[in-house]
Amino acid sequence: MARISIDPITRIEGHLRIDVEVDGGKVQKAWASCTMWRGLETILRGRDAREGWVFAQRFCGVCTTVHAIASVRAVEDALQLEIPANAQYIRNLILIAHALHDHIVHFYQLSALDWVDITTIPKADPARAASIAEGYSTWPGNSRRELEAVQNKVKGLIGSGQLGIFAHGYWGHPAMRLSPELNLILFAHYLQALEFQRKSCQVVGILGGKTPHIQNLAVGGVMNAINLNSLATFNMDRLGMLQSLLQDLIPFVQQAFFVDTCLLAASYPEWFRYGRGVANYLAVPDLPTDAKATQFDLPGGLIMNGNLASVQPITNWRDESFRAAVAEDVTHAWYRGEGAQTPWKGETDPNYTDFHEDGKYTWVKAPRYNGSPIQVGPLANVLVGYASGHPLTRKWTDTAFKTISSVHGFKMTPDDLQSTMGRYLARGIRSAMLSDLALQHWQLLTDNILKGDDTTYNPPQFPSHECEGVGMHEAPRGALSHWVIIDKGAFSNYQAVVPTTWNASPRDEKGVPGPYETSLIANPVVDPQKPLEVLRTVHSFDPCMACACHTLDASGREIARVKVL
Amino acid sequence: MSTSFADTTAGQPLRRIAVLGLGNVLLGDDGFGPMAVEMFRSLYECDSNVEILDLGTPGLDLAPYLYDADLVVIADAVHPREEETPGTLCVYCDDDLGLSEAGSSQARSSPAQLRLTSHDPGVLESLAQLRLAGHAPSEVIVVGVVPESCGLGKGISLSVLNTCLVAVDTIARLLLEHSIDCRRRRDPIQRTLWWLSGSA
Repeated sequence: MARISIDPITRIEGHLRIDVEVDGGKVQKAWASCTMWRGLETILRGRDAREGWVFAQRFCGVCTTVHAIASVRAVEDALQLEIPANAQYIRNLILIAHALHDHIVHFYQLSALDWVDITTIPKADPARAASIAEGYSTWPGNSRRELEAVQNKVKGLIGSGQLGIFAHGYWGHPAMRLSPELNLILFAHYLQALEFQRKSCQVVGILGGKTPHIQNLAVGGVMNAINLNSLATFNMDRLGMLQSLLQDLIPFVQQAFFVDTCLLAASYPEWFRYGRGVANYLAVPDLPTDAKATQFDLPGGLIMNGNLASVQPITNWRDESFRAAVAEDVTHAWYRGEGAQTPWKGETDPNYTDFHEDGKYTWVKAPRYNGSPIQVGPLANVLVGYASGHPLTRKWTDTAFKTISSVHGFKMTPDDLQSTMGRYLARGIRSAMLSDLALQHWQLLTDNILKGDDTTYNPPQFPSHECEGVGMHEAPRGALSHWVIIDKGAFSNYQAVVPTTWNASPRDEKGVPGPYETSLIANPVVDPQKPLEVLRTVHSFDPCMACACHTLDASGREIARVKVL
Repeated sequence: MSTSFADTTAGQPLRRIAVLGLGNVLLGDDGFGPMAVEMFRSLYECDSNVEILDLGTPGLDLAPYLYDADLVVIADAVHPREEETPGTLCVYCDDDLGLSEAGSSQARSSPAQLRLTSHDPGVLESLAQLRLAGHAPSEVIVVGVVPESCGLGKGISLSVLNTCLVAVDTIARLLLEHSIDCRRRRDPIQRTLWWLSGSA
């Protein structure tokens, strides 16, 4: 039996260690450990509730807007404060643009090279690659000329003998099976993706004032001044710029990114058999279409034991069953305390013991939903939508299934999505959905403004008694909730239950492991020296430990050490 | 409301310059970069083709801010290379970052030496990707400081705070040397160092 320890495992900021025991070429046991302490609650306690979002957007360097919006939603929930429709649409557009950016970066920059072997690209026939790509997509970046240019760049890189940032890839690994032509197509999109990351940021910049830290939020709405006759405010020019950026972004998402996830899935169908893991899924409703947030464009719900027919909808942000169900357990995490606690009563009292596989071994708490571990993320979002008959989810999921079967005849069912490859594909499906919704929410905002509504803000009133609230957001990595208790306008407690806490959860008091840990069981490992297959499954969750554990380690110096694997 | 990041891309012929602060403001001296750019914005005035942004800790999400820029000045906490004491100002240019042709082979063959700034996984990877895509900035300069302490919620230490003022003038001098208009304000504008305020 071989024991493999991979530390750190993410390609971005953060400290995640994965330990696996391998026997007979398969993972038998797994542990997910976060090696940094999380202390953000300490910073927020006692602060003015109107300013919490400014701090919350520094929880993570990547998901800035995500935490900012969850924070204001939590305070608005505590105050039962309704925000104007314009504010909903402006926030929604920021969230959509951020999510598209995040999903594009994950697929290409953070995980594609687990599947794409760039060292075979010199052998590709660009004309053949162009004709393959054109069979599935209308993307102009698939031309023979474009692909030839990318191939020449890769030839130059390899010819120099110095792969630079690509030096640590598992090139030539037997689990890398794409043809040179497909490798070329996907790597060309990897490079083209940078332009569309920029366009997504520009959308956030126009609406939020600045990126990556938006400045337009307020408890009660947004601070964008809307006046169609003034140059200095949010006007028709800005709306026009937004529309044209979104129209540039959509073809890349639908014709390159989405199609690439389908091509990858069709080429590696065995990865629909691995990585199922915890088959309980949670998605929270998001993208409200009215001021009171009664209707949502992304449905929420809960699926237990992989049974899609059993989906229980979560129809709004005040759902009482959600509030009663969430608790965090610290039996195997480096904190003091016993039993599971609702986040409103959560404590963050560190108790470091070193790595003990049967004892405490991580800084991540174990969130549980009615006592069960839960998987969150684009897959949960897509499964809940599909199971609830949500038309937009069905449209893009069915398109994905059709595209996949047209490649090598692999006939997919929604159950196949519950897997490592399913998580990649779900991210592509969700992005295509969001790209449709981007223009719809732009239209909602424009129509509402043209109707003469220029309100964006309802001032908050803080009661003299204590009040509690939850702010939800279906973030790129899954269901996020900020739990706050406010006393005379200041936070007396603040806990963030973030997507990566759900997914990277350790074992709980009953010894039940979390989604990363469970998904690795029976995962193949051909070469224990090069555990590429472990990375594929862990990366399928898009791990981001910065907010799950926040940024502090024992020495306080190694701020962002990352080994590119 | 400023929309500089959006507006400067509307096809203007002006050179695109970015002054970027990197670092986590919640982690003591790691907040040097954000603090330096905020002080720069308060003390100096530039034309609209100069983006002045506190980027926090974006990792690979840094790429969009470097995309096709002519000059990027990055303020960041850096690891000491020799025995520099906390608060030491370190200015690194393309050669030090392994970005120039001459420096590339040496730097690439020993990635451990690439850790110049606390956030260089994002900086160097983003630059390498952009170069391959043909959209790298023409020039990158890091204005760094050696931190004293990066503890959670500890604020900036005195040695780093003092260097911050020198760093701000250094950024201005670098811009002027590149013929980029950069004027000291007669009356500094309000700076918002919100993270240094105590809790209520």
